[in-house]
Amino acid sequence: MRLLNILVIGALILAASFVYKIKFDSTLQAERVAKLRGELRRERNAIAILRADWAKLDTPGRIKGLADRHLALRPIDRTQFDNLDRLPERSPAVAPAPGETTIDVMIRPAIPDATGSVPPAAPR
Amino acid sequence: MHSSRKFHESRWQRTLRALLYGRDVDRTVKAKARLGLAILAFAAIFSVIALRLVMFANVGDGHGGRRSVAQDAVATARPDILDRYGEIIATDIKTPSLFAEPRKIIDVDEAIELLTAVLPDLDAGEVRERLSSKKGFVWLKREITPRQQQEIHHLGVPGVGFLTENKRIYPNGPVISHEIGHVNIDNQGIAGIEKWLDGQGLAALHMAGLATDPLQRPVSLAVDLRVQYALREELIAARDKYKAKASAGIIADVNTGEIVAMVSEPDFDPNNPREANDPNRLNRLTTGVYEMGSTFKALTLAMALDSGRISLQSSFDARLPLRYGKFEIHDYHAQKRVLSVPEIFTYSSNIGTARMALTLGVDYHRAFLKKLGQLDRLRTELPESAEPLVPKHWGELNTVTIAFGHGLSVAPLQAVMGISALVNGGKMIPPTFLKRDRAEADRVAQQVIKPETAEKMRYLMRLNVEKGTATRANVPGYYVGGKTGTSEKVVGGRYSKTKVLTSFTAILPVDKPRYLLLIMLDEPQGLPETHGFSTSGWNAVPVGAQVIERVAPLLNIPPRFDLPKADQMLLVSAKDTR
Repeated sequence: MRLLNILVIGALILAASFVYKIKFDSTLQAERVAKLRGELRRERNAIAILRADWAKLDTPGRIKGLADRHLALRPIDRTQFDNLDRLPERSPAVAPAPGETTIDVMIRPAIPDATGSVPPAAPR
Repeated sequence: MHSSRKFHESRWQRTLRALLYGRDVDRTVKAKARLGLAILAFAAIFSVIALRLVMFANVGDGHGGRRSVAQDAVATARPDILDRYGEIIATDIKTPSLFAEPRKIIDVDEAIELLTAVLPDLDAGEVRERLSSKKGFVWLKREITPRQQQEIHHLGVPGVGFLTENKRIYPNGPVISHEIGHVNIDNQGIAGIEKWLDGQGLAALHMAGLATDPLQRPVSLAVDLRVQYALREELIAARDKYKAKASAGIIADVNTGEIVAMVSEPDFDPNNPREANDPNRLNRLTTGVYEMGSTFKALTLAMALDSGRISLQSSFDARLPLRYGKFEIHDYHAQKRVLSVPEIFTYSSNIGTARMALTLGVDYHRAFLKKLGQLDRLRTELPESAEPLVPKHWGELNTVTIAFGHGLSVAPLQAVMGISALVNGGKMIPPTFLKRDRAEADRVAQQVIKPETAEKMRYLMRLNVEKGTATRANVPGYYVGGKTGTSEKVVGGRYSKTKVLTSFTAILPVDKPRYLLLIMLDEPQGLPETHGFSTSGWNAVPVGAQVIERVAPLLNIPPRFDLPKADQMLLVSAKDTR
């Protein structure tokens, strides 16, 4: 009987300290969760504000105003469009020789730095 | 020990014991058994408690966090609204709002003095009234700035506090106004798509206090922000140039019924909803009804061609004005000869179209317009809609005038739906402001005219741009087809000669239609460069041409330069179908 009492008291003390530890840990965790939640909420609100801000800066009207003021670009003209099938054949200068890949052609040094719309630099 | 106690017991005690426990019971044995029972019972109770504790620990998670969020958002969180490419049209941000608990305020005068110093636009009298009430909670000012919040916080007035609320933001301001509508201070939709959203279950969520989830799925509209902006800019310019009372425009996808852009100028800024109540700023395209004038001739011609009784080779007498009772129908571009069907369309002959409708009869005419949805109220996502003004007794005279677009008033959006059906192969698709794909559109579509008729209508539309009333819309490279409309407005019960409503309906590109553009000008004035004319061909059509040139690249319509003439177009398509 006495042995049982001692055992039970021992178990009680053990259990109490264990529960206290768990409680303490869980309080810590709960605080952390609450803090993270708050942080998440703050971040989300900040993202919402930034998104609204971005959308405001991104409105076509504002972009147009900026482009008019700072760029020499004009709206695209209908004569500037063409079909891919009307593209002329590749000139032999840029066509790959047998055994050569397209990349070889690209890095071939002999080609002047010119495209259809940019004329080659005038010789000095 | 036991025996000695027994020995000392008095007679009294002995009788009591015998009464309570029975005569021959050994109490020591009993006591032991009872002790065991008690231990068992307590062990059982404690193990139940322990079990419940474990269960609570596992299940009752996240309770504290949820509560603080609910307290946070008084005004409902609303889903973002995006355009068809994901640009933000409407979004929520959090703003603090100032409230007070009058019972906790010690000195009302001091509180008012301090608060009005920070918030000068606060009405002192009203605040005093609110603070002197016996209520537990009153709003003082909704949606203050973070800076003001900081200052009020530093004042340290007891009994006032802040709640974070959702505030609706429309970054594009007035660019999209009628379509999107607006919300009130509690973030509930009042008009437009915002109100429609509330009807989709958001209002119920709000009532239950659950509409606080910041992760609601955004809503994608059919509108293209860039096209909308371009259209609006051109319409504002047009309104100024022609000194019109109002200008409006729609760009609709004829194959899906999506409204890609919709502008009714003057409009309002949804961030400032007070402007929206001005009756001059109403959405003329959905809440206004108008006699569409010659634009309606397209419907009459489609009816005639679809009936099978009238072909492109038929001709009608337009030598003399059409007399009907005391009325006389004249032509604006009078030719005074017999006109073929294409000529009736390109000269926009009132006499010809009226005769055409009379040939088919009143009932046929009414049934056809009913089939094309011109006689019933058109319902879209927008809560605002207008009932068309249909004559109560539809006689022959009504058919005569309705044939060329007078005497029946419809919402312009309704006309857009009808004309789309005439060119897209005969499918009538109810317009939508939400994104919709081709398959879904085909599910809701109704075949209203034969595809061959649609082909002929496209030919007529093209012909009208090449040598009819809409020649100024012939933008090289874009195969535009279209129909003009000029209707005289009714002023004091009579048709006015000077106050007109002009419109232009364009199909882009006309051989394989993708978009329909409607331009409408309300009371445009004649200008020196239009030689004083105020008919559609001089104002709505050039505006339409400018809009087409500007938005076609945005709508992914490449310009083509090897285009056939209208006459060849019909031949080509006839060969294709054979």
